[in-house]
Amino acid sequence: MNFAQQLINGLVLGHAYALIAIGWTVLLGVARLVNFGHGQMYMLGAFVTWFVMAKTGLPYLVAIPLSMTVGVAVGYLMQRTMLQLTIKQDLVSVMIVTLGFGHVLEGAAALFFGSTGQILDTPLSLSNIYIADIWITWQDIAIILVTVVFFAGLKYVIEKTELGRLIRMVAEDPKLAALAGIDIQKIYLGVFAFEGAAVALAASLVAPRTPILTSMGFNEVIITFVVVVLGGIGSVAGSYMAGIGLGLFTAFFGAYVSAAYSTAAMFIVLIIVLVIRPGGLATRPGGH
Amino acid sequence: MSSKPTPSSLGTKPGSPVLEVRGLTVDYAGNRALDMNSFILAEGELAGVVGANGAGKSTFVNGLLGWSRGTPRINGKVFLNGHAISSLSTHERVRQGLLLVPESDLVFATMTVEENLAHCTDQRHSGDRRIYSIQEIYELFPNLAERRRHLGGQLSGGERQMLGIARALRLAPRVLLLDEPSIGLAPRLVSVVLETVRKLVDQGLSVLLVEQNVKAAIRVVDRLVLLDRGHVVASGTADEMRDDPRLAEAYLGAGA
Ligand SMILES: Nc1ncnc2c1ncn2[C@@H]1O[C@H](COP(=O)(O)OP(=O)(O)OP(=O)(O)O)[C@@H](O)[C@H]1O
Ligand SMILES: [Mg+2]
Repeated sequence: MNFAQQLINGLVLGHAYALIAIGWTVLLGVARLVNFGHGQMYMLGAFVTWFVMAKTGLPYLVAIPLSMTVGVAVGYLMQRTMLQLTIKQDLVSVMIVTLGFGHVLEGAAALFFGSTGQILDTPLSLSNIYIADIWITWQDIAIILVTVVFFAGLKYVIEKTELGRLIRMVAEDPKLAALAGIDIQKIYLGVFAFEGAAVALAASLVAPRTPILTSMGFNEVIITFVVVVLGGIGSVAGSYMAGIGLGLFTAFFGAYVSAAYSTAAMFIVLIIVLVIRPGGLATRPGGH
Repeated sequence: MSSKPTPSSLGTKPGSPVLEVRGLTVDYAGNRALDMNSFILAEGELAGVVGANGAGKSTFVNGLLGWSRGTPRINGKVFLNGHAISSLSTHERVRQGLLLVPESDLVFATMTVEENLAHCTDQRHSGDRRIYSIQEIYELFPNLAERRRHLGGQLSGGERQMLGIARALRLAPRVLLLDEPSIGLAPRLVSVVLETVRKLVDQGLSVLLVEQNVKAAIRVVDRLVLLDRGHVVASGTADEMRDDPRLAEAYLGAGA
């Protein structure tokens, strides 16, 4: 395996990780919420995209927004169900409810889509580019571009817009935000709808890289968790950097050590980073 | 959502009821923390609510906002300026001009003083109610002007109280509910804060002041209500209440 190819693989994988984690970056980092059904929502996004393309013959560019629409509906419904828990900031219950929701999604998906693996081929994933002995697909390029644009847009919205400020105020203190006249239910519902759309978009783009299974959700939420925590909760840029770092780490570890242990190695890195810098990479040591 | 005007809203001359409570009860898991038959705050009035720890003072003001942390059951009717607001959610009541400065956590800690003031304002829903400008607020609370670039989390207790009140003034209050603004303040600062509240009332604001510091409160309020175990046990003008034995009892009971 040559170094340049691993570097490219790592960068693509890293952008994929970051893209998958973007919904969580807003959820946990900005709104102080969690969604352990995130991985299954990723799975659902991939299967909806696959279903639309394989069963109805509609093009990829139509399948993506359809998948995102399903994601919005699922995210909204989930938050609607547990709104009272969210408002009370009962994070343990939110964790359990979302975990349960994820399993329900997984069961429903297995019933509906069958439990055999599928291949999500897209026009982009089938077109290869070779530069010298480096191989990359247009799908990979799309992942990188969309991730960069999405993160830049998100950073702008969170830091510079009225909406971003409202979300940050709700995150800091929902009661005080309500007492300042902010409709916190709307913000929470909106954040979950965004999370649903974002993870479905990520799935439509990233899932074509590997075969898709209705049981693949768990792995995705774990990776997301590592990215968001490593990035320093609350930092959009941090999540992006952490995603890329993790992608490079996984690619090189997989190529030069062992692919089978790369998830375990990922967690060792997470533990070490958290011990040295409890706030994650984006924060200064000892800072807030 | 139904907000039928009651007769009292038809003429809002000074002295007419601006906040009215009928049969307000709040239960925490079956325990009744508040049982208030009726309560009226007149326009331009400063009413004090006093009572010992756990008497239900915070439960009362939170209940007026319909705030429900800890799943209390809130029942009964609340009218603001003659409109029933009991079916509205908290932020909708705020937009109608019912502002609460809570007992604790009353500033956004990660925002500066100026950001707290600049970002917590709402011209869209203010109607004919007055929004204090940041400049007016700095004149009212010179301490805040000095600290304008400091984060909310870096402020002292007294400065937080001032910022809490100031933020409410940015949200066009019709009625201001203050939950123990004197808590933890040095005696001199207690007078400063309460006298500022009095000044606001003299400018036309209607205020409900929750206090444990009866001695300080009675100097500024028009009327005083004594709460005990969720019930109103005495009420009257400041002068009437000054010599009320029940007040003396509760006052000593509060251990101040
Ligand atoms: N979240 C809650 N869950 C259960 N009981 C509660 C809750 N909040 C308040 N109570 C109870 O309701 C009663 C009234 O409490 P409240 O906070 O209104 O008192 P208070 O008059 O504001 O007291 P303080 O002067 O200490 O602030 C108390 O007996 C208290 O234990
Ligand atoms: Mg209290």
